[in-house]
Amino acid sequence: MAGEVLSMEQDRRTELEDRYLLFYIEQMLHSVELQYVIEIITVQRVTHLPNLPEYVKGIINLRGKVIPVIDIRLKLGMEERPYDDKTCIVVIDINEMHIGLIVDSVSEVVTISEESISATPPGDVAAKYIASISTHNGTTVLNIDCEKLFVNDLETVVANA
Amino acid sequence: MNDVDTGMESLLEAFIYETNEMLDQLDEILLESEKEKTISENNINSIFRITHTIKGSAAMLEFDEMSTLAHAVEDVFYIIREDISKLDIVFDELFDLVFQSSDFLRKEITAVQAGNYTPSDASALISSFHNLAAVMKGEEPAAQQVAENAPQQEQPAVVEEQPAPVATGGHEAGDVLQVRVFFQDGCQMENMRSFMLISQLKGCCGTVESIPDHPERDAATSAEIVKNGLVVCCSGFDSEDDVIKVIEQALNIKSYEVISEGELSAEQPQQEVPASTTPATPQPEKVEEKPAVQAEPVAPQPKAKQATVETSKPAASAQPAASAAANANANAAKAGVKQSLISVNQSKLDHLMDLVGEIVTAESMVVRDPDLEGLRLDHFTKSVRELRKLTDELQDVVMSIRMLPLHGTFQKMSRIVRDMAKKLGKQAELVTYGGDTEIDKTINDAIADPLMHMIRNSMDHAIELPEERVAMGKPAMGKVMLSARNVGGEILLDVSDDGCGLDPKKLLAKAREKGLLVKPESEYTDKEAYQLIMLAGFSTNQEVTEYSGRGVGMDVVRKNIEKVGGSIVIHSELGKGTTFSIKIPLTLAIVDGMNLSVGDTVLTLPITSIKQSFKVTDPEQIIRNSNGSEMIMVRGECLPILRLHEMYQIEPKCTNITDGILIQIENSSANACIFADELLGEYQVVVKPFPKFFNKYDLKSQGLSGCSILGDGTVSLILDANALINNL
Repeated sequence: MAGEVLSMEQDRRTELEDRYLLFYIEQMLHSVELQYVIEIITVQRVTHLPNLPEYVKGIINLRGKVIPVIDIRLKLGMEERPYDDKTCIVVIDINEMHIGLIVDSVSEVVTISEESISATPPGDVAAKYIASISTHNGTTVLNIDCEKLFVNDLETVVANA
Repeated sequence: MNDVDTGMESLLEAFIYETNEMLDQLDEILLESEKEKTISENNINSIFRITHTIKGSAAMLEFDEMSTLAHAVEDVFYIIREDISKLDIVFDELFDLVFQSSDFLRKEITAVQAGNYTPSDASALISSFHNLAAVMKGEEPAAQQVAENAPQQEQPAVVEEQPAPVATGGHEAGDVLQVRVFFQDGCQMENMRSFMLISQLKGCCGTVESIPDHPERDAATSAEIVKNGLVVCCSGFDSEDDVIKVIEQALNIKSYEVISEGELSAEQPQQEVPASTTPATPQPEKVEEKPAVQAEPVAPQPKAKQATVETSKPAASAQPAASAAANANANAAKAGVKQSLISVNQSKLDHLMDLVGEIVTAESMVVRDPDLEGLRLDHFTKSVRELRKLTDELQDVVMSIRMLPLHGTFQKMSRIVRDMAKKLGKQAELVTYGGDTEIDKTINDAIADPLMHMIRNSMDHAIELPEERVAMGKPAMGKVMLSARNVGGEILLDVSDDGCGLDPKKLLAKAREKGLLVKPESEYTDKEAYQLIMLAGFSTNQEVTEYSGRGVGMDVVRKNIEKVGGSIVIHSELGKGTTFSIKIPLTLAIVDGMNLSVGDTVLTLPITSIKQSFKVTDPEQIIRNSNGSEMIMVRGECLPILRLHEMYQIEPKCTNITDGILIQIENSSANACIFADELLGEYQVVVKPFPKFFNKYDLKSQGLSGCSILGDGTVSLILDANALINNL
């Protein structure tokens, strides 16, 4: 019984492995591993919370669950831009914690084989958030490392838990 | 056995749950019995059943130590069940030992639960039980002879009475019922059994008179009862059937018969004459004792009986009997309830609660759908009303599921008082009121620790040694009181003692020593001085004891209580005692709130913390401080004004104080006014904690206690008046 569950879990893993969700930030294709992604929703009204870092936009209601929303442009040190009808919130799950990422627009889900992934060039922002770089149909894709992205926010969460 | 086979897991879970329940029950019985200095037959049977079940299930799961220990306890109670008089020989030792074993079992269960179970050694306890059993058995031959000799001599004389035809005709308006009861042959302790039966009968009859009178006082009456049966004379009952039913259900009854007046008096001479209270008493005397019964055989008998009741029965003896009967009733009721209970995983309940919250939200989303605006929808409105009725009901039911009476928590406290009194050589009792007050499970769990801490403090620091108390003119028996009552959406919990009280001077000196004072000493009122003990790092007791005095006491209590939205205030009188008054919300999950808007943000303020709201008509009313802060005079009180938009950096609709609205809020000690754009109305909101993501940012200290989803799907922030005021 327990074994069955385990193998199902493994199936899910392999199914999601090498699959990435592509989205645009500032005309650049970024991606996150599909295994983190819960769903994609349209931008809703965000309730602002006081005295938080600028990139934390506030909280939204995701079917009865209150989740924090983060503007990934601000998190990556880019300029904020007004939301339009293409702006989406990508809801990801890191260590059982749901977080909404505001992205300019979502592109597609693709399989990127390991061979086409190359290591990150050294650099400040890149070293912090970008796990690797790959190409898809001739375009460069920056793979965001979700766990690294929130390492600062999660640190204390883990400590508090 | 170090780890448990996975197939056993559900069995194990059941074992843990069941055993914990039973240990709680065991503690309860023991405490009650210890207070009354005796164990009722019912309770002995319960203890027997509990230990037997634990023994069995522990053995099944191969927890041998637990099983052996339970077996040892069972053995001892087996002896007691056979002959209750043995109990007196070992009363104190026995109770201590059983308490210790219950603790031991609990510890083991916790270890099993934690998954790192290695059997602890119970052999010390077990051998103590064996010793105890030996002590009791050692006395046995002697005791048994006394008990058995008498019946053996009388027994041949017992003629089994044939149940006579029920002659109810002789009754006076049917309000007196006489029944002769025979106990099973050789069941022993007939006098105590009679007493039990009489007690039980008192549960359904106004008065119960028996022949022989007060069998519990004299073991020798056993012989008489064996011979002639116990004659009970009941009056003031609702229906005869009830009385008969009680007799039928009593233990060890061989036979019974209903006797008419005439029959009894006719039988009296032959029945009552040998039935002397002590076998040695000459018979004629006995006859003289009963003239009232015999002289007026038919009509006035009930009255005569009544008279005997009044003259011969001291009030003291009537009371324990009545309370025993009440207990028996309560137990019976409990047993009845237990069977219809199921245990549910709490996370499922939480989930259910969430879902209901969502349904409530979804419902108002549908009803207030903008697409429906301006349409005439008679049918729809009707259906909506029906739906609303159902969701309201559903919400009430789900809320009530989570409510638990405080009784269980109180029960644990009496255990602490008992243990500490023994250890510290003090005399104290715990008096509880309002244990049936119901409170949300989460809060119930959260207050157990603080309560325990306060009770420990009271026992350790406040209650004096018996000699000291007597010298001060107080009763030697100290009193710790725990009371709970429900006052409009909040629970008021009082923990009080009649101990030495707090000395404000000592508290101030101590606070000065620790550098905890924030203003000149002379400015502290007594009330403020008492609250000092709740500061971190404050402990007035010089020595660290096993129970308290590590200096982390009361501030942790305060923090824990504040965590569930409560507050605590201390009152004390030097030499007379101290009272801790705790106010906590009934439930955390749903709050009656007033929604306020500030710019685009909706904030919810719990109704309970709102005193009033008002518009400022004249800007002149505002007093400006040199540092820019604002104040307003309200009914002779000068209150600070807190502008929410400034505090939370929200772009407001209005900054002019006359455009918006002021809401006066209060906590236990202070008042303040907050400024918002407008009031949106009163709503019931489902409180949700902030996502874990925000743990780092300590939103609580900024006056935000959580969030809630509004009817239109947006999120509102719930304000915490207490924190807001503390922020000023």
